[in-house]
Amino acid sequence: MILVVLDNDGKTLRKGALEALSRAFALKEAFGPVVGLVMGENPEPAAEEAARYLDKVLSARIERYTAEAYAAVVVKAAQTVGAEVVVAAAGRTARSWTPRVAVRLDAALLEDTLASRPQDGKLVVERYSFLNRVTETQAAEAPVVLTVKPNTTEVAQPGEGGSVEVLEQAPGEGGLEVLELIQEQAGRVALTEADIVITGGRGMGGAEAFDQVEELAELLKGAVGSTRAVVDAGWRPYAEQVGQTGKTVQPSVYFALGVSGAVQHQSGMNKSKLIVAVNKDPDAPIFKISDYGIVGDVRKVLPAMIEAVKKLKN
Amino acid sequence: MKYVAVIRQVPEGEARLKIEDGRVELSSTTMILDQMDEYGVEEAIRLREAYGGEVVVVAFGPERTKEAVRTALAMGADRAVMILQDGYIDPVSEARALAKVIGEEAPAVVFTGGQQADWDSQALGGALGEALGRPVVTWCTELTLEGQTHAKLKHDLDDGAEVVRAPLPVVVTTQQGLNEPRYPTLPNIMKAKRKEVREVPAGELGVTGSKVAILGQLVQERQRKKVSIDGTKEPAGAAQELIRRLHEEVGAL
Repeated sequence: MILVVLDNDGKTLRKGALEALSRAFALKEAFGPVVGLVMGENPEPAAEEAARYLDKVLSARIERYTAEAYAAVVVKAAQTVGAEVVVAAAGRTARSWTPRVAVRLDAALLEDTLASRPQDGKLVVERYSFLNRVTETQAAEAPVVLTVKPNTTEVAQPGEGGSVEVLEQAPGEGGLEVLELIQEQAGRVALTEADIVITGGRGMGGAEAFDQVEELAELLKGAVGSTRAVVDAGWRPYAEQVGQTGKTVQPSVYFALGVSGAVQHQSGMNKSKLIVAVNKDPDAPIFKISDYGIVGDVRKVLPAMIEAVKKLKN
Repeated sequence: MKYVAVIRQVPEGEARLKIEDGRVELSSTTMILDQMDEYGVEEAIRLREAYGGEVVVVAFGPERTKEAVRTALAMGADRAVMILQDGYIDPVSEARALAKVIGEEAPAVVFTGGQQADWDSQALGGALGEALGRPVVTWCTELTLEGQTHAKLKHDLDDGAEVVRAPLPVVVTTQQGLNEPRYPTLPNIMKAKRKEVREVPAGELGVTGSKVAILGQLVQERQRKKVSIDGTKEPAGAAQELIRRLHEEVGAL
């Protein structure tokens, strides 16, 4: 059996959930039927949606997210259905609870995978390592916990439909007590799913300058990204950080505006199909991995880029 | 109180990676203390400076990892346990071995890097927390102790951040911005040479093998066009040229 844990926002399934479903379906022949699990404060709507894709969906209400609570429910669900493979989208939260599940199920953990296939009874995956510079092939025997890198897989299509079962569970024990939640407005386009990403770095000079980054993003239907320095300075929300310690993106076009391109930043974007950089320092490392670069002051170049795009769109 | 910083040695981020027989070959690569682990060493030292106690470094890896241990001791850690393991072992199996050593030390706070720069893995902290039966706070940017029993921590989420109170002991994974790690001074480098480093073969901690096998590794760097447009004199003209070429030459936008 395969258990696929379906990421949701309390209303609908996230795109990552539909990618995880596709991966799970592709493993059916080797590892058996797929059962879904929807967790959250309000799992019912997403569980109903998931039942369009699956024969059986488990729904578990969890008052508040903690890695311990999620791991406990996933372990219980995996044991209940007898799953040998657990699949989930590799968001920051899933990457917090999946190692716990791997320890409890004495399973191998295959993290943040680009692709997966069964081979001789094993699960073989591709993933990046060494700051996103190396492509690695890994193999493990079941039981396995597999996480799916966002934007790597076609989303699943609905099937004949099935039913939802409620998974009863004991209330979680103590642990972390939340004192303050700093929630950020999600952008129009999710950063890890965007086809075009426009990232501003310290060279933008200040928070106000990001109005223009936003404007360009709006024109191109892209998402806004930023660097750790920008996030630390409080110019932009944490959720927009691209890099080793933020999000990893690989859009069709990546704009690096006033970004010097430290290795830590590169590891979050070096797999982009096309990289465009604007920086006043001709020796900035970002130019070494760019397809197109303008050496110049981003604060003068960016407004002209916006005008040129507007003209192009007309 | 005792604070443990888990450390590993990884290639320096800008070092060229050599592939031999389908594997990354590191024997001639510049190796450093993983910068994400370095934040943990620094934070542990700061806790000792603020509240007293002892900083123990627990390192995992082959013989050469001792260089990273020396760096951590020179920064100010008091002593080290070096778990010796040749060859790849997956983070979850490694966490089980680490938990045996760390469990015996019984620290109040355990630090590990938010992501390892060689594996690009985020699993070590979570697996360590599970193996120790303790809560984990991932991607931590601020930490203060509240007496002997709790810590208050700020950490990054997928979309935002959170301030939490955690009962001690707690496992903390580091995030950039947690602190600014200090450079070892010459006197401290000399002092570090006399500090205790206890060696434990991983086999003695029940490590039998990796649950994950690496079948192959390759460096796939995309060939970049590297078109450079001078925008120093006429920024507007350069911007127009860029947008036109993106549209005409690669069909982007």
